[in-house]
Amino acid sequence: MDLGESVGMSLSAIRGHKLRSGLTVLGVVIGITAVITFVTLGGSLQAGLVGDLGGEGASNVNVWSSPTEVSGPPGAGAQPVFTDRDVRELDRQQDVRQVVARGTVRLSTVSDGNDTVALQQATAYGRSYFAPDDLREGRSFRQGADEAVLNPAAAALFEDELRAGDTLTLALEDGREVDVRVVGVLDTSTAQDPFEGFTQGPRVYLPTDPFYERVVTGPTSGDPERVYQTLFVIADGPEQVGGVRERTLTYLAEESDAATLVAPNVEFVAQTNEQLLDQVRDILDTLTAFVTGVAVISLVVGAIGIANIMLVSVTERTREIGIMKAVGARDRDVLGVFLTEAAVLGVVGAAVGTVAGLAVGYAGTVFVDLPFVVPWEWGVVAVVVGVLVGVVSGLYPAWNAARTDPIDALRYE
Amino acid sequence: MATVPETTVESAVSLRDVRRRYDRGEPVDALAGVSLDLPRGSYTAVMGPSGSGKSTLMNVVGLLDTPTDGAVTIGGTDASSLSESERARVRGAEVGFVFQTFNLMPRLTALDNVALPMVFAGVPRPERRERARRLLERVGLGDRLDHLPNELSGGQRQRVAIARALANDPAILLADEPTGNLDSATSDAVLALFDELHTEGNTVLLVTHERAVAEHAERIVHVLDGRVERVETLRR
Repeated sequence: MDLGESVGMSLSAIRGHKLRSGLTVLGVVIGITAVITFVTLGGSLQAGLVGDLGGEGASNVNVWSSPTEVSGPPGAGAQPVFTDRDVRELDRQQDVRQVVARGTVRLSTVSDGNDTVALQQATAYGRSYFAPDDLREGRSFRQGADEAVLNPAAAALFEDELRAGDTLTLALEDGREVDVRVVGVLDTSTAQDPFEGFTQGPRVYLPTDPFYERVVTGPTSGDPERVYQTLFVIADGPEQVGGVRERTLTYLAEESDAATLVAPNVEFVAQTNEQLLDQVRDILDTLTAFVTGVAVISLVVGAIGIANIMLVSVTERTREIGIMKAVGARDRDVLGVFLTEAAVLGVVGAAVGTVAGLAVGYAGTVFVDLPFVVPWEWGVVAVVVGVLVGVVSGLYPAWNAARTDPIDALRYE
Repeated sequence: MATVPETTVESAVSLRDVRRRYDRGEPVDALAGVSLDLPRGSYTAVMGPSGSGKSTLMNVVGLLDTPTDGAVTIGGTDASSLSESERARVRGAEVGFVFQTFNLMPRLTALDNVALPMVFAGVPRPERRERARRLLERVGLGDRLDHLPNELSGGQRQRVAIARALANDPAILLADEPTGNLDSATSDAVLALFDELHTEGNTVLLVTHERAVAEHAERIVHVLDGRVERVETLRR
């Protein structure tokens, strides 16, 4: 008896009990859905980060200072220690295209006329930072001007959605109020640098001059200078990024103002985006292992469900087993029929789970605005797992069916 | 008690001193030494009260049951030394069962039911479908090929079962009370079909408790207490 014949008989048996079969494979469906959803989201998140950080970001070295006992996301525990002089000096290093300082400006509220909303901080960048491609409308801010760029989530905070040309009033932490002109709106609310995390909250971007006001007396110059929490040292190209990172760390350790300003037990961290991606991958791998663990439990439950329903099915079809044997089926033919049926149930569950997982994953990527990546290799894994779950759970019931005595079976009511 | 006939090459089925003992608390001899020879092309009926051993006889002839002792030869094959899986193969090839309760696969069409024995015999799909179609036409159901059993009348179901029994061109047709679930008009039609099949050269063994049904055969084997009580040859 060939496989095609077994599969055909299995499908007709399964069609005969649609609801029961559906409920039976639910465990498998849930397990596979969970894994596929997660690997889809994980893969898409990675692809999104590679897109954000990979491309032109591949030349970036992200620099901050971090207390040695602090671990966490990029920038965790960062202290304002990098002076304007440090920025200029790093800019002169070999293979460095430019250095962008980054700091946060504490706010209490932002207002559009009488329309006021709370916002705790804005991000300040040295240089104009945004390229025309990044903007839905308008242009980037200029250093030294009272200008701001908003992301779409920030523009939408107000009753009248803000556009380039509108005026925004920033209430600073210390109570002062400053009017800024909105000169541009970004085309996406996703993070604009690795320190912003993955949320899509409203964000206001400002030039460090004049808004960033943390100042110290420069240890080298003796004059007041701004100090920044984080820097982006941008190499001429991805090939130079390793060397630039080394030279940056050497400079910071040996010649920088930051080395003087930094507190004890605080070290400098210089991380390339590739290293950042590795960290993200580590986190994703851990989460994937966890979700897979949960899915395995679900699959075990699913397997028990299939085994149970196959036992019922074998009992119900005792007479059919008798008929098959009477017309020449060998024990292994009967075994094959029931094993195939269990395997088909497993595969159907896996297939439905894969489609459902992809759908949920796709909805997730649309929701968080990530590129959608189909994890093909996991689809294959899912189907193989489906077959395995089916075969394993079908073994005992099928063996039961195969050793049924045809005489008793033909008499079975 | 009948004399022990010699086994000849002409036999479709031959039983030599077959015993079947069941151990249910105390040993029971369902067959206590039966010898029977069914020549090719013969039509034999088996009659006997319930508990006489005629069901066990059917099962042994159909290779569903294995004798405790004695030899069973079917279609020229000595079945006593066969493994379980070889017995299944010989059963599929040499025995065509027709049951009182039809025993069709409920989810298979008439055509697929008739083709089923050929599936297990390894006949290629186009060939077995073609043969199944011709067999259904032969029993007068050429217009019911794609009907499920529950869409057919009792008489039609039994015709499908007969067509299925003929699928692998078996050495013997084994019919166990084939008219037991049919009304008299339908019974007559089914028995007429067996008569025709016999005329065409098929070997038929029919178990019944009705004298009128048994009289369609050439001879009647009367079974009692696990033995052949007498063999009655009918003249027509």
